[in-house]
Amino acid sequence: MPGFLRDFFNRNGFGMGLAILGLVLFWTIGLIILPQLSMLDFSFRPNLPPPEIGGPKDVYTLENYKYLIYGPEGGSQSYNAVDLRVFFRTLIAAVCVTIFNLIICYPIAYYLGQSKGNHIRIFAIMLIIPYWINEILRAFALRIIFGETGVLNTLFVGLGIWDTPFDFIRNDIALYAGLGYAYILLMIFPMYNVIESLDGNQIEAARDLGAPWWRIHWRVVIPYAKPGISSGCTMVFMLSAGALAAPQILGGPSSLWFTQLIYQQFNDNNDWPQGAAYAIVLLVTCILFVLAMMRLFKVNMGDIGK
Amino acid sequence: MNMSFLRISIWVYLAIFFAYLLGPLVIMSITAFNSSGFPRMSPWECLTFQWFGELFQDQRILNGIKNSLIIGAGTVVLSVAMGLAGALMLTQIWPKLRATYYTIIIAPILIPGVVLGISTLVFWDRINRMLGLGADSFLSNGIFLTVIGQSTFIASYCMLVLVARLQRYDLALTEAALDLGATHAQAFRKILLPFMRPAIASAAVLAFLASFENYNTTTFTFGEYPTLTIELAQKVRYGITPAISALAFIIVALTVFFALLNEAKLKRQELVAAARKEATVEELAGKIKLPSFFSGNMAAVLLVMFAVATITVVGTAMAYNPAQCIADVKEEKRLEAEQRIQELRKQREEQRKQREAEQGDAQQSTPKPSNNSGFGNVFAPNTLGGQDDESSAEPDNQPSGNSGFGNVFDPNSLKTDE
Repeated sequence: MPGFLRDFFNRNGFGMGLAILGLVLFWTIGLIILPQLSMLDFSFRPNLPPPEIGGPKDVYTLENYKYLIYGPEGGSQSYNAVDLRVFFRTLIAAVCVTIFNLIICYPIAYYLGQSKGNHIRIFAIMLIIPYWINEILRAFALRIIFGETGVLNTLFVGLGIWDTPFDFIRNDIALYAGLGYAYILLMIFPMYNVIESLDGNQIEAARDLGAPWWRIHWRVVIPYAKPGISSGCTMVFMLSAGALAAPQILGGPSSLWFTQLIYQQFNDNNDWPQGAAYAIVLLVTCILFVLAMMRLFKVNMGDIGK
Repeated sequence: MNMSFLRISIWVYLAIFFAYLLGPLVIMSITAFNSSGFPRMSPWECLTFQWFGELFQDQRILNGIKNSLIIGAGTVVLSVAMGLAGALMLTQIWPKLRATYYTIIIAPILIPGVVLGISTLVFWDRINRMLGLGADSFLSNGIFLTVIGQSTFIASYCMLVLVARLQRYDLALTEAALDLGATHAQAFRKILLPFMRPAIASAAVLAFLASFENYNTTTFTFGEYPTLTIELAQKVRYGITPAISALAFIIVALTVFFALLNEAKLKRQELVAAARKEATVEELAGKIKLPSFFSGNMAAVLLVMFAVATITVVGTAMAYNPAQCIADVKEEKRLEAEQRIQELRKQREEQRKQREAEQGDAQQSTPKPSNNSGFGNVFAPNTLGGQDDESSAEPDNQPSGNSGFGNVFDPNSLKTDE
């Protein structure tokens, strides 16, 4: 028995140690690592009916990944323009949602973090309550507002600003508003946690030395809050790129989200390996993108999740 | 910059921000009480409670709630256990492995839920095949898969909550218990668990809420046990009704209630602690006068107001009967529709007269048989088509005339607005 394990059992007792170790191994290996590897393996296999699985045809192939880039074999186009467009649109839209959330949440996080008083707790409750409501219901609420006979259209047409109802859903405005809405809390809390620990004297000092308010933020608050900002952005980006409910409910009929393609491969086309390949592409691209952004803005991996 | 201007702009910004955050929920809640068949605020028709009744008769929703509760209970047990084990492991793992281990157990929070659902489905399907079990085995059961899939990432949330409290735990307490002859299990149960209890409670609540509202993972794993969220998504995607608003209202009300309850309790604990601190020795020895539940406790006051409002609303719902109002609105709509019919008729009449005049100019000798009938225009294309070129001269009028009449007599036309 290696020294570490012996120490571990000495400290926790044999039964307790075994229980802890068993649960942790089940979680990390059985639930996190093996399923991901299994999905990776699966994405390299052809789509076969169950009896043929493990048979001679069950060999590794790049077919599923090729499909995303080149489309069906013998197709009229040289590239799978539809799926690729959806893929890049999803990534770009997720970046836009992240930036939008960052801009609207930073003042709130700064205000909540730097002011003292009883009302801050009320604000915190008001922030958390929408997050406890079902994701589907939040999207549904926005659909009531943005629908063709929804609150906004009734209001604007009633006021005579527009002549005809504006189709928010077809123009994807509802979708972006819904995605931004869904993940506001995940942006605010990491930033709030960091900004709260910033000593107000530093801001005072900067002000006394004559810095205008924007330079105080640029040179004092934002550098200090960088870990919070980066973990907030990472979470919002990953979750909005992987969102499924909001695009399904708020997306226009002609616009798809990449997760919807994955969903279709699984549920409508019944092509699991293809869906797994798409999921792998999404996961790997998102992780690489986040890592690249972290390098660009010089953020350490260890700062995330603090 | 002027300070008061800055302060005002901050408040305006806060107001806009919270309007964006809470406005949709308020509007959705209000639509639950409008009798209009499509969830909307305006035009306001009648105050009604019928959507709540409809909600409680929906078997699929009730079944979904049942499945959600079962899956939620399973997820809470599994993910709190795994989260606690993970947190304990994190505090004592070999330092070199620590960073890797932390990355692995934190990763599920960042992995898209869709990916987690797929990987769970694929992996357990493969295990199932390797063991040679059939398609209806325990391992391909929807509840099992959903609990497993959700726990993968919910355990990470629990771990974060639990590790925050575990860091404040004094290991000397466990050592003292062991020195005094307790077994490891006893030390865990009697020392560590009571210390961790508040954190375990919050982790359990968090886990249940996360499980209850999860969609992305569950949508791949639910099998034959759709949860409430899945049922809601199906309903919302294929046509929305105010019954969903009613459900949303109930959830919002429950959330607000528990948030206020929790806040009031915390506030009271604070006040009691403050009173204890200020109390003199005699007061402590004798009867200490603790602040009552309401004094200086804004949340408690709000809580009671909220409860009173709920009771009032439920009471009204029992006694209130919107049938008259709904009948009125129906009548109004009928009148409106009738008026529209009249207008259409008039329009038709004018058009007919106009055409008659034109036709009269063209060929006076042949009177049209169709002209006698009130519905002449409906049949006009047939009658006119063979006789002259007039009908082809005004092709726009004819089809619209047809559809105009067609809609009016369509039995659905009266209901389209509902």
